[in-house]
Amino acid sequence: MKLISKTLIYYLLVSLPLLLVAGLLSYFLIKTELRDGTDETLASDKAQAEKLIQSLNTSYPVYLSVDSLSNIKLSSGAKLKSGYSDTLVFNIEEGESVSARMLRTYFSFNGSTFQITLLKTTMEEEELLEGILATFTMIIGLLFLSFVIVNWLLSKTLWKPFYSTLSQLKKYDIKRHEQQHFNSENTIEFNQLNEALNKMTDKLYLDYIQQKEFTENASHEMQTPLAVVKANLSLLMQSPHLKEEEMNQLQTIENTVKKLSSLNKALILLSKIENNQFVDSETVSIKTIVSRVTGNFAEVIQSKSIHLNIESSEDLYVKMDPALAEILLTNLLQNAIRHNKSEGKIIIAIKHNQLEISNTGEPLNIPKEDMFIRFKKNDASKESLGLGLSIVNGITNLYGFKVSYSYADSLHRFKVDFT
Amino acid sequence: MKILLIEDEAGLRQTIKHYLHQEGYVVESAADFNKAAEKAGVYDYDCILVDITLPAGSGLDIVKQLKDKGSKAGIIIISAKNSSTDKIRGLDLGADDYLAKPFDLAELNSRVKALIRRRNFDGNKYITINEIEISPEQRQVKVNGESVNLTAKEYDLLLFFISNKNRVISKNTISEHLWGDDSDQMDSHDFIYVHLRNLRKKLIEKGCADYIKTIYGIGYNFKVNG
Repeated sequence: MKLISKTLIYYLLVSLPLLLVAGLLSYFLIKTELRDGTDETLASDKAQAEKLIQSLNTSYPVYLSVDSLSNIKLSSGAKLKSGYSDTLVFNIEEGESVSARMLRTYFSFNGSTFQITLLKTTMEEEELLEGILATFTMIIGLLFLSFVIVNWLLSKTLWKPFYSTLSQLKKYDIKRHEQQHFNSENTIEFNQLNEALNKMTDKLYLDYIQQKEFTENASHEMQTPLAVVKANLSLLMQSPHLKEEEMNQLQTIENTVKKLSSLNKALILLSKIENNQFVDSETVSIKTIVSRVTGNFAEVIQSKSIHLNIESSEDLYVKMDPALAEILLTNLLQNAIRHNKSEGKIIIAIKHNQLEISNTGEPLNIPKEDMFIRFKKNDASKESLGLGLSIVNGITNLYGFKVSYSYADSLHRFKVDFT
Repeated sequence: MKILLIEDEAGLRQTIKHYLHQEGYVVESAADFNKAAEKAGVYDYDCILVDITLPAGSGLDIVKQLKDKGSKAGIIIISAKNSSTDKIRGLDLGADDYLAKPFDLAELNSRVKALIRRRNFDGNKYITINEIEISPEQRQVKVNGESVNLTAKEYDLLLFFISNKNRVISKNTISEHLWGDDSDQMDSHDFIYVHLRNLRKKLIEKGCADYIKTIYGIGYNFKVNG
């Protein structure tokens, strides 16, 4: 829920009981005020009635109102309770009882006692309640409306810097190699937030760059010593006095140096991809690259008696560095060959915006989430470096493509989504 | 044939020098930019091997200097940075070849030979080893005057052997020569064996002597006496 909506709810939660209390209070206050008003009228009517008795000096009842409810009668016998009271009278016109205020009093004149009854219909409580309810509902409505409007205006103005910082943060990707700058604001809190973010992202960026450069530099620095070892091995091999055992040892060293230099090459490639050093961008035909790459591996595929099937009803064109496109497909195909079995299958399907490479093979030993992590290998296959799929992942990440893995019907399937 | 080797790493410099010397080249070397620039400016060489990262300068500037003075020398860049931008820049400046470290001496040797061959095409167009005659321009091989029909891989293999004749070449070196970067990805030793067997058979069928000797555990040697 938006912060603004939350404040709105809190405001309403606080104002509703307040309005309820205020409503009740005003109901009672208005009621009292109204009664006091009626009573005052009745009191003045009483004075009028007394004057009337004095001037008329009659013993007959005198009706003071059309409905003959208010009257003056000669009192005989027991006196009724005198004073103000609430009563109900039947209103013929409306055909229902209505509430009324009654003042009964006794007045003695010339030795006779007159009973004065004064009645005044009052506004019904229901009507009063209805009126107050309507008023307060309107007030709540107006309040809600004004809250919404004020909040909207606030979020447009006061919260604007916050939302702009937020959208900047959402878009921030350290791998894009851009330093993010959050502008200073005249609201202290937001200014502090942006300063803190600036400091944090600058530090992150610096660390990231240094770490990237370290990997690349370290790998480059290793190339020359490796070249020295390799060159000296070649020289040593020329020696005519080598025994068989020594030759085997030389071979072991050579294989290891070769593996080390392949590893190094792969690491350099990976850091180059991650360091954005492939900047060429061309429209690449995936179909063309697939046929070239499968051509490169034709010998291996044939020797392992793997059945290769390429399904491409349409070509797929992707905008990317052509060298990376080739590396991407080479690594995927290699993976499909390496983890295949003899007489197995490889199916390459070129679809709309999508490429699928499936191969037969033993099920995975590692969790499939680990598949694209550096140096995670399914089997300790000695020819595998454990970097091929990391490179695939690096390339797809660079362009915002998606690579996914699934296993079904004893087929390993890698899917690259180029959208 | 005179070669100038520009390489700052002493271990590599001496080894390359030694190897090329065995091949019959006159090799001079320079360990830093200034010395290299001086030698390249004063003397004429047939081939210059230049490392890009040098103390006090870039090997690319030496390539430029050589081209500016109109040098006819073939230039091979050897670099630890296997970067396509460096490669393209080097080749644009006029270098003839680019070799990324770590490389094999046999590979370097065959590149030097190929380069010198291309540079001197006014001279001998053919490589002749006893009964074998190779025409690199047409990629054709003749044994005793009769042409041998070789596949691309078999031809490359033969030329590589001949460039490195009388030397032990490991299977790894051969596989890197034949398959480049892809050599890591396959059981290349088996493939070498298949290609080698076919090459041998085709040569012997035409009456060629069996020059290719298997060096147990390591690789092969194309042995030519004399």
